[in-house]
Amino acid sequence: MDGFELICPAGTPAALRAAVDAGADAVYLGFRDETNARNFPGLNFTREDVAEAVAYAHARKVEVFVAINTYPQAGGLGPWRRAVDDAARLKVDAVILADLGLLDYAAGRHPDLRLHLSVQASAANADAIQLYREAFGVRRVVLPRVLTVPEIARLNAQVDVETEVFVFGGLCPMAEGRCSLSSYATGLSPNKQGVCSPASHVRYEPRGAALASTLGDFTINVFGADEPAGYPTLCKGRFVARDTPAYLFEEPTSLNAMDLLPDLKAAGVRALKIEGRQRGKAYIGAVVRAYREALDAFAAGRPVPRSADLQAMVEGGAQTTGAYKRAWR
Amino acid sequence: MRDSDATAHATADERARRIETQLSRAGLGLVPRMGRRVSDRLFDRLLHLLTIRHPRAFTAFRAMPDACLLIEPVDTPMAFLLRVGPNLSLRALRRGAAAPGDVGGVTADAVVRGPYAQLLDLLEGRIDGDALFFRRELTIVGDTALILALRNTLDGEEMDLLADAMSFAGPLAHALPVLRRNAGSILDRLDAARRLLPSPLRRGLARVEARLSGLAPAPEA
Ligand code: SF4
Repeated sequence: MDGFELICPAGTPAALRAAVDAGADAVYLGFRDETNARNFPGLNFTREDVAEAVAYAHARKVEVFVAINTYPQAGGLGPWRRAVDDAARLKVDAVILADLGLLDYAAGRHPDLRLHLSVQASAANADAIQLYREAFGVRRVVLPRVLTVPEIARLNAQVDVETEVFVFGGLCPMAEGRCSLSSYATGLSPNKQGVCSPASHVRYEPRGAALASTLGDFTINVFGADEPAGYPTLCKGRFVARDTPAYLFEEPTSLNAMDLLPDLKAAGVRALKIEGRQRGKAYIGAVVRAYREALDAFAAGRPVPRSADLQAMVEGGAQTTGAYKRAWR
Repeated sequence: MRDSDATAHATADERARRIETQLSRAGLGLVPRMGRRVSDRLFDRLLHLLTIRHPRAFTAFRAMPDACLLIEPVDTPMAFLLRVGPNLSLRALRRGAAAPGDVGGVTADAVVRGPYAQLLDLLEGRIDGDALFFRRELTIVGDTALILALRNTLDGEEMDLLADAMSFAGPLAHALPVLRRNAGSILDRLDAARRLLPSPLRRGLARVEARLSGLAPAPEA
């Protein structure tokens, strides 16, 4: 049986080179605008950058995927359609889309362009996935991070589309592409503007030895002197309910499914995805290298090496296997 | 672990980097003695050079709206004020000015504070800024979007600040690659020689090396 494909993030050309050099099978990236779900200041690729990225990656037999995975605004389809056209012109290996209209446009206009369904489409059942397959020829679906491993196995048995799952990085605990928490607090959302909890609305305020993080008008967390800090994303906020501060939705932990490689393989998963286009090249290089070593060891039947470095890099300094092994489900 | 043990266990490359960092930090200590005009000219020159070396990043900085970032290495007497926008500039000033607020007549919109070695590693993309922030080794105050834009833009470069800075220092520019290439093996040979020394001398040497590499505080002058 083929090994897993390792799909790695890049927010800058230097990060792309770091991912390729560290052993990625494919790198995913976005254009420098609201057409992708990591529309952060100073991040992402111009058209020229993508051309260079494709040349660098292809010369090393690594593929490039372009995420165009936000939902186009009514009356303003231009940037999204141009992004699809340019991705095809620049000869990327696949585009990662979420919107039905854009999938239809890409399938009709560029029949040879490989289509992947973004996690933002939140396709979590066999009927939905088959529909995307039959209507638009989608070849791969990135599964939402809400499914358990047995659910993924059942799904794979029912669909003839490759599946890709997240194995490392930040977590979205809500139904992806549907979450309105950021929109509620700031008016900007990952689904339309491509950014959850935008930096323009984030402030960190020292309060004595403590550190408060705020998003818009809301205090999202107050970290004690020795506590690891985190992003002020609403779903990972610590709120006071019945006089007790607690993480009501999700703790600021990071996904690491390295221990689940045998289970994911048995469940029929084709590709493993690392989250973090917004992270620096040092992070991307370290995580990709650790996963490359793990996948090579796994493929050769050797024990999977544990990388101690990864723990120090993640939000909250804590790791979880997320929904894959969530007992309460 | 005691400091001298930490020094002994670090790889030759890590030790060479620490010493390099420490030397550049010591060099910065000279800036206040230069006088304002000379220091301003020096940093104009450095900025000009970085613009030539990294056009992608510095063109992006010029295209940003006018804003100032104060970079405060907590273990040096100096801080740096980077102004982005059409009037791109870099200035060194004495650390300790309250910010965001008035710093040397300019308002800082955001501040990044942390140990010099980490800030240098961050600038060169050797270390992950988010991880430093999560571990509370880095403090950021003020306009988070400005900090993120600068961080992301710089991280998109392959920057070697010391080599860039040295490149306008004439013969020193040629010396740096040679020193770097050989630093590991020189330090290894010194280690071998050290093992032959009597133990009081060996401990004295370890203390000097730890001081030089920033692992131990320098004795009060
Ligand atoms: S608030 Fe949380 S769940 Fe919602 S989009 Fe942001 S990270 Fe995802």
